[in-house]
Amino acid sequence: MTTILIVDDEYLIADILGYTLEDEGYTVVKATSGAKALDELERHKPSLVITDYMMPLMNGVEFATEIRKRVGDQLPIILMSGAQSHIGRSSPELFAAVFDKPFDTPKLIDKVKKLLERKTLPGRRRHPPR
Amino acid sequence: MEQLNRVKTGIAGLDLLLKGGLIVGASYIVQGRPGSGKTILANQLAFHHVREGGRVLVGTILSESHERLFLYLSTLSFYDPARVGSEIQFVSAFDTLQNEGLDEVVKLLRREISRHQATVLIVDGLLNARSMAESPLDTKKFIAELQGHAAFAGCTVLFLTSSRLDDGSPEHTMVDGVIELGEELHGSRSVRRIQLRKTRGSAALSGLHEFEITEDGVVVYPRLESLYSHPSRSDKADLTRVTSGISRLDELTGGGLPGSSVSLVMGPSGIGKTSVGISFLGASSRAEPGLLFGFYESPQRFRLKAKALGVDCKALEDSGALHLAWQPTTEGVLDGLGARLLKLIDEKHIKRVMIDSLGALVRIANSPSRLNEFFSALMGELRARGVTVLATWEMRDIFGSEINAPAPELSSMVDNILLMRFVELESELKRLLSILKVRDSLYDPSLVEVVISDHGIDLKKAFENATAVMSGSAATIPNT
Repeated sequence: MTTILIVDDEYLIADILGYTLEDEGYTVVKATSGAKALDELERHKPSLVITDYMMPLMNGVEFATEIRKRVGDQLPIILMSGAQSHIGRSSPELFAAVFDKPFDTPKLIDKVKKLLERKTLPGRRRHPPR
Repeated sequence: MEQLNRVKTGIAGLDLLLKGGLIVGASYIVQGRPGSGKTILANQLAFHHVREGGRVLVGTILSESHERLFLYLSTLSFYDPARVGSEIQFVSAFDTLQNEGLDEVVKLLRREISRHQATVLIVDGLLNARSMAESPLDTKKFIAELQGHAAFAGCTVLFLTSSRLDDGSPEHTMVDGVIELGEELHGSRSVRRIQLRKTRGSAALSGLHEFEITEDGVVVYPRLESLYSHPSRSDKADLTRVTSGISRLDELTGGGLPGSSVSLVMGPSGIGKTSVGISFLGASSRAEPGLLFGFYESPQRFRLKAKALGVDCKALEDSGALHLAWQPTTEGVLDGLGARLLKLIDEKHIKRVMIDSLGALVRIANSPSRLNEFFSALMGELRARGVTVLATWEMRDIFGSEINAPAPELSSMVDNILLMRFVELESELKRLLSILKVRDSLYDPSLVEVVISDHGIDLKKAFENATAVMSGSAATIPNT
């Protein structure tokens, strides 16, 4: 099972996105802050992280920097943000993709699929588990 | 006496009500039903505060997403997305409240205050916190702890709630101030009102004040009579005279209208009240500019009317001697109009004003019971600013002896009263003018006929051989 970690202090967004990803066959783990998400990272070893920018305790950039420190640059991170998306776009080393809120869910799912394909099977195409 | 430091809300009228703004480090409840404008008010304050160099933390305990909020705020002029995420931080504590309880929400917000070095904290969704509290004591503790942490950091707190908390509620007893936003229907018109229900450690303009939500956010109009319960400057009370613009009228009033006085021209529709006003404004000069504060006639129509009386409105306007301010009678707030008039007077250094008509102001008033106080404050303030005023009032009846004053005590509020009536005399309809009152002056009380021509207005002695003139149906006294 491929696990995706969603980090957002707004439960509604995390929930809606979580359900959609579960429908696509992924396992979803949610956290409401960067600090909590780092614990989940250790515990569940997700294959991809989707994070908000404006959150308590640490923002999306601080959180992504911490991930890079802990697990290196192989774990793709998607930033979803409103006003601060430009910050994400100027840090391609941290974020594999940046989505403006409110985002187009099918496009986000599509991106998730592509990133996971690239990650798990370089050079070969495979559909994510259903 | 010590002055407490203030955080300006950036909402000019609200800062006036608060006598300068919120008190730094104090806590306030902003309450009102959904849609009453709490969130707009709080965010307007937040964006103003960061423009002044402050930092704001918005902690929401609501299920509504921040993006949705930003979407609505983006239609308002104060919203600046570049500030969001930097000087203004939005964090959601809803999940924390639901899964971990009130104590954890306090901890989270406390950490965020210091992390962002916030100088204003806005907590939106106090009702949800209350519903999670096991007892009223828990709610009290929640508020007490939050405001304790905030005050320690010099941070001013606003708690927003959609419930109508009463004065004895635990929430109210804890905070330093309560700002209530309400809405009521007057006929089919909805009127928004704001009230400061509690202001600890500060004087404030009490009572209900009207406000509007415009594209610039919340605009508060303090009740004029509370703002100017004492005129802002002292009345010069000199005995100078200014011309009424009608030479015969100047003679009848003993040398012109008293300076800084208020004259009321009463009469039925079509009698020539506006024409008297045009002559009055025609005497404006660059040294003593005039202002038309009109409701019914558009500037274009007013200019045409003036031209017909031989007054070149356009030339006066071009030279800066005259300004025309027109506003529709279908919208606006009474106190807003009063504030607009006073602002124009200050900006353009106006010395003579024609208000055409007071009836339009009455129409706009939602509470007729306070018209006396409103007019009294407005007139007092105009006098104090050295402005000579001529206001018109339309009487209902074209003929007849009954006179309806705009407010029962208006005649004692104004300095001079001119009454205009139609009179039928020898199968001819004539316009009559009589002076009922002139401040501190003897005047000629005789009834004069108003003759309007392209040279302006002339007043002729007439009706000397007639009786029952004021009734509208005069009769010639037969020669004996």
